[in-house]
Amino acid sequence: MTKPLLERQVSLIAHLTSGAAIFSRGGDPAPGLEGIDPALLRVEAQFSYAKRMEKITAVLPKTFELLGSGKEALVRAFVESCPPATLSRLENARQFHRFLLSRWLHEEPDPPYMRDVAACEIACAEVDTDPEQYQADRANAEGAHRSAVRRSPNVVLLRCAYDVRSIFEAPLPNPPSLAGDGRVGAVPAKRDTPLVIAMPPGADGPQVLEVLPAIFDLLAALDDWTDAAPTSEGAEFAKLLANLAAHGLIEVRR
Amino acid sequence: MRATVGVPAVGIGFRAAIDDWTRENLDRFEVLEITVDHCLATSRSLRASIFDLVGRIPLTAHGVGLSLGTDAPLDLAYLDDVAAVVERLRAPAYSEHLAFTRVPGRETAALLPLPKTEKVAESIIAKVRTVQSRVPVPFLLENITYVFEWPDSKMSDAEFLNLICDETGAGLLLDVENVYLNATNHRFDPYAFIDALRPGLVKEVHMAGGVTIKDESLAKPLLADSHSHPVPDAALDLLAYTLARQEPSVIILERDDRLEAGDEILDDVARIRARVVAARPRKTHDQALVGAAG
Repeated sequence: MTKPLLERQVSLIAHLTSGAAIFSRGGDPAPGLEGIDPALLRVEAQFSYAKRMEKITAVLPKTFELLGSGKEALVRAFVESCPPATLSRLENARQFHRFLLSRWLHEEPDPPYMRDVAACEIACAEVDTDPEQYQADRANAEGAHRSAVRRSPNVVLLRCAYDVRSIFEAPLPNPPSLAGDGRVGAVPAKRDTPLVIAMPPGADGPQVLEVLPAIFDLLAALDDWTDAAPTSEGAEFAKLLANLAAHGLIEVRR
Repeated sequence: MRATVGVPAVGIGFRAAIDDWTRENLDRFEVLEITVDHCLATSRSLRASIFDLVGRIPLTAHGVGLSLGTDAPLDLAYLDDVAAVVERLRAPAYSEHLAFTRVPGRETAALLPLPKTEKVAESIIAKVRTVQSRVPVPFLLENITYVFEWPDSKMSDAEFLNLICDETGAGLLLDVENVYLNATNHRFDPYAFIDALRPGLVKEVHMAGGVTIKDESLAKPLLADSHSHPVPDAALDLLAYTLARQEPSVIILERDDRLEAGDEILDDVARIRARVVAARPRKTHDQALVGAAG
């Protein structure tokens, strides 16, 4: 008797997203998929794998270039331990990023600034995503009291160990690929670097900006709507807030 | 390019990577197809760019994220999001694949085939009705290309599609390239497939060009629907044959790879349009788009 369709669909997708189907050349029938040519399933698995990796490299192009010669083994380990859970480009990239972070708990990334580069790339994708949520947040702000400020919801703060801004100014191979040589732009200097990833008004895409530590701390503190009533600093503080608002880093309710 | 009276609208699937190029060449197309999923949980710049096209050129809506064929309840929240996007695009129809891409907890980007049986058709019919109840424009099903077949499939591709479309009133987005690939890979007559489709069923058409995969483990080379190369002449011949029997109102060239080859894309559009013009005159473009909606 034929198994229920969902059960067979589960078996099929489990097989197609497995390392065995994608990377091996074995010809054994997949469990639960008897009667289907394993060679054809391998082709299907490789199509699916290629699409997924295309999404991930689109979000993390510079990270992939930095992964260098070890990336094939790394990607294989990722595929075998982290099956795809969504079609979303950002979610697949986040999944790969989480995988990298778990690896870096046990071994330092090489080069060491790759951790900061990956975090910046994920942040860039995040600030350019979910505008509807952003709009909803703005709508919720209608209830906020007067003269309040908060950090813009689509701003990400990153305290980096390296000044990786030079990496983001370097040209990328086009298209980014799994076959990069591990070199991306100039080697960044090691220094504590407070970065803001934001989409300033009028910008074509997300930008990676360095800010003064005090500004970074101020932005970090503005998680929620905060009273912005005049203080003893008065005009200077108002000027600062206006400047931050002009760059899209905070929202101001008057 | 202005629509020519009496022929269906010809255009391309909008792709972010060639956004600027598409705008520069907008007058070469009479319609653009928007992938609704590109308007959901995506880059806000992409979404803004897509909605900026509304009113500049007719848009039709296509989906890849429904997974209609998964043997589990449909994602109704997703469908409601689709309905909102379709309304905002002012699209006359919404199309999705007769396929599945996921099971609970796991998603593959591949469009996978279903066993072609009456029991599976019954399940799909119920789901199509759900889609029709939540998305307020006509729903079109697209035939997919498939690498493998389920061993318990009992019906032909055309029988399966006719059954579901007849029971639900859904139209067909006929992917001519997929018919050509499937016929070659699985050895059936593509012209017999076209003949078997009920007259009036085909509302929109997809065209594309793929590659041949040669692998020692495969019994024979496999044609793959990579949307990367010029439309083969054999697929254009099949389009001409289709146009003599069906009255699609929209024909879309799909291209997802080698997008830098803009001249190839424009040449394919011209080759498609030549086949369209050679077919018998029909409705005006405006009437055609309304036809897709009705």
